Amino acid sequence: MREKTHNKTMRFLLLSLIIICALCICTFLFLTTHMQQQSLETINRISTFYMSGMSDQIAMHFETTLKLQLSQVEALVKTIRPDEFDDLQTMYDTLTRYAKIRDFDYLALCNEDGSLTMIYGSQVASLNPQPFADSLNSGTEKISAGTDYLGNDIVLMGVPAEYPMGNGQNSVALVAALPADYIGDVLSLDQNDSMVYSFVIRQDGSFVIRSHDAYRNSYFDRVFALYDSVNGETPDQFIEQLQAAMAVETDYSAEFFLNGERRYLYCSSLPYTEWFLITFMSYGVLDDTISHFSNQWNLMALTSCAFILLLLLLLFAGYFRFTQKQVYELEEAKQSAESANKSKSEFLSNMSHDIRTPMNAIVGMTAIAIANIDDPNRVQNCLKKISLSSRHLLGLINDVLDMSKIESGKMTLNEDRISLREIIDGVVGIVQPQVKAKKQMFDVFIHDISTENVICDSVRLNQILLNLLSNAIKFTPEGGSVQISMYEEPSVKGDDFIRIHFLVKDSGIGMSEEFQQKIFDSFVREDNARVHKTEGSGLGMAITKYIVDAMEGTIDVQSRPGEGSEFHVTIDFQKAGSPEPNMCLPHWNMLVVDDNPQLCESAVESLKSIGVDAEWALDGESAVQMVNAHHLQHEDYQIILLDWKLPGMDGIESARVIRSQLGDHIPILLISAYDWSDIEAEARSAGINGFLSKPLFKSTLYYGLKPYTDAAVPLPPQENAVSRLNNRRILLAEDNELNWEVASELLTELGIQLEWAENGQICVDQFAQSPVGYYDAILMDIRMPAMTGYEATRVIRRMDREDANLPIIAMTADAFSENIQKCLECGMNAHVAKPIDIQEITRLLERFLS
Amino acid sequence: MTLQECYAALGGDYAGVLSRLRSERLIQKFLLKFLEDDSYGQLCRAMQQQDHQEAFRAAHTIKGICLNFGFTTLLQSSSALTDSLRNGWSPESIPLAEQVTCDYQRTINAIQAFRQGANAEPH
Repeated sequence: MREKTHNKTMRFLLLSLIIICALCICTFLFLTTHMQQQSLETINRISTFYMSGMSDQIAMHFETTLKLQLSQVEALVKTIRPDEFDDLQTMYDTLTRYAKIRDFDYLALCNEDGSLTMIYGSQVASLNPQPFADSLNSGTEKISAGTDYLGNDIVLMGVPAEYPMGNGQNSVALVAALPADYIGDVLSLDQNDSMVYSFVIRQDGSFVIRSHDAYRNSYFDRVFALYDSVNGETPDQFIEQLQAAMAVETDYSAEFFLNGERRYLYCSSLPYTEWFLITFMSYGVLDDTISHFSNQWNLMALTSCAFILLLLLLLFAGYFRFTQKQVYELEEAKQSAESANKSKSEFLSNMSHDIRTPMNAIVGMTAIAIANIDDPNRVQNCLKKISLSSRHLLGLINDVLDMSKIESGKMTLNEDRISLREIIDGVVGIVQPQVKAKKQMFDVFIHDISTENVICDSVRLNQILLNLLSNAIKFTPEGGSVQISMYEEPSVKGDDFIRIHFLVKDSGIGMSEEFQQKIFDSFVREDNARVHKTEGSGLGMAITKYIVDAMEGTIDVQSRPGEGSEFHVTIDFQKAGSPEPNMCLPHWNMLVVDDNPQLCESAVESLKSIGVDAEWALDGESAVQMVNAHHLQHEDYQIILLDWKLPGMDGIESARVIRSQLGDHIPILLISAYDWSDIEAEARSAGINGFLSKPLFKSTLYYGLKPYTDAAVPLPPQENAVSRLNNRRILLAEDNELNWEVASELLTELGIQLEWAENGQICVDQFAQSPVGYYDAILMDIRMPAMTGYEATRVIRRMDREDANLPIIAMTADAFSENIQKCLECGMNAHVAKPIDIQEITRLLERFLS
Repeated sequence: MTLQECYAALGGDYAGVLSRLRSERLIQKFLLKFLEDDSYGQLCRAMQQQDHQEAFRAAHTIKGICLNFGFTTLLQSSSALTDSLRNGWSPESIPLAEQVTCDYQRTINAIQAFRQGANAEPH
């Protein structure tokens, strides 16, 4: 499609370029030839004007010259009157003298019959004596051509005059003569430049005045000899035309080629004579000029043509490039639109799938619940699953709603006074079960936060931290570590603000460089086999980024595939107006034990600010030493804070050691980022008085330690949800029906499926007949008829079954330590004393069944 | 007669049992069932037959029940009897057994009084 459009455009462009080029060339060719023709014609016309003018000029000159000579002769006649002279000879002498003054070469008297009597000069004769004589006889001046006795051409000028001739007769005219060459000289016929030359010829073609290179007697002979064609006609035709024109005494012009050179001919008659002036002009120079001109013109035309073509080409190239660019941009826009569209539809399909999964669970569970409406356990179980799926579904839908809110620009921050401690506590509380489920190392570091109360949208801040943390947990494999830390620095926004840095770090699968670029884009989830099975809308990070932007904060990420990721969020919070309540504890001396020195320092700093002196240790062993040292100096610590996870001896072990050495009077609190419900029993039995959850804000410490200001009061045990025991099948060996009923009543409430064995023997038989893995645990009374709990346990432990090592918990009214010892020796896992304490049993069961 | 009054009469820890069983209905149900429990009968029979093992077991069971139901008075005597029988007959066994009988009667009386009161109460 794209290729096709592109080709079409290319074809169109090329075609139009070619057409325009051709048009341009044609126009210029036409113009050039036309102009050449035009200029040729113009030149011809100019030549004709010029030549005819020139001929007229020459003819007029000729006429003037002859008139002048005639007038000289007339003057001679008028000056020298025959009656003034007595003597004939004197008259002739005078005539001769005067004539010679006037440069006449010949002077003669003409009688009636036209014969000439020379006064001086050699004998001449008219070539046409009769017309000459006729004219003179009639009293008209006449000029005629003639020859002297040598045959030289001469011009005779006769003026009627009566002079006595020696023979008694009177002349009719005085005739003076000049050599024809003289006329030629006067007329400058042979101008010695090759451009213009003239002949004077008679009607029969014979030369009167020759010039140039003509040597023949007749012009016509010359024509025959030299010319191939005149005006495209044969010499004969030309001569005929010329003679015809001469006969009617009209001007005649023609063009011909001589020696390959174009020449122009103009013929006009000369007055007073039967002669004709033929003027020639060679086009040589003119042609040169014209061809130079036309060359110039051609060159100009070609140059401008080339110029215009070049311009056109440039234009086309530019246009072509422009269209190319446009096409490219269009393509790019199209592609980005397509990819956005694709990612949206991919998102939609992922989303549909993600939504369908919990929806299916809801529908299915609802059906099961309806089918088992009379079985409250099943229904409850179903409802529990439905509520889990619904919550998941709600999360997905919330993400989508948030995103659409963001995309339509409708998300606003709902700012209020919040406590950062509460936010972090809440977030940590929410993620704890996930961390626990994935057995990850989880830690929270709070580095000396002075301002806990700020103005912020708590829901959105929660969302940011939860998104980051749940991502970190989600993309970190089991056993990895997840850590959130937090520190403050002065804000650039002023004293009313505080800048808080949140760092969420994990040791998970990390991200590719490429993915980090677009992690904050909408609808993106790294397309990677490792990530495929991870559920989520793919909107979390886009939403997070948007919220951070809305809070005018920054978020960035550092990550390497396989090494983990670190998200860094910085937000400037406005400090909440009212001051923190005055937190002050007695001037205690405390010990803080944690493997992280920063946490210790931060905690000590925080404690100092609420009036407590504190020392810190990095592990259990040194803590025990410090406690002993203080004890010896009778300066016991008032309270000891122990981290649960410590290198070497852990917190509970350390507490046990301290208790065994110093007794019960010092409150020992366990600090942990984990949910401590699992370890609570163990911790309490080791002498731990209470728990403090990380993060250790100033207020956390204050409110956590305040109860110990009066007396060492243990914190009330926490209620915890018991869902893990749901549907577990437990065998209860109990001989007394009443006790069985109590246990059954209490445990069934937790979702446990309890089966009763009335004594040890029945218990053993029932277990032996059950399929492998049928029972999850056994609660064993000790004192039973037929077989005691001890024996039953031994028998079960000896069985050759895969599940022979199932948890067996002793449940007895005896709480003597030797009894407990005996229980453990028989292979029981734990011992619980009657009365049945549901929380105790739950804790134990959870511990052994998880 | 309320449960609380009944417990007061038999010398029991009502608050303790309520915190464990969390329901008056349950407590009431189990109290009434206690009347039918044969552990005391077994104890009496074992005592007569001088079967110290069986007597120990029965006393132990009574002790367990007392723990579950918070019958503090009966618990004290049955617990003492259990300990005296743990390693065979001991001189205190007989008087302790009489004490148990006395406490048992007191308990039974209180519960029966409660049952009558409960039945008499209009629903």
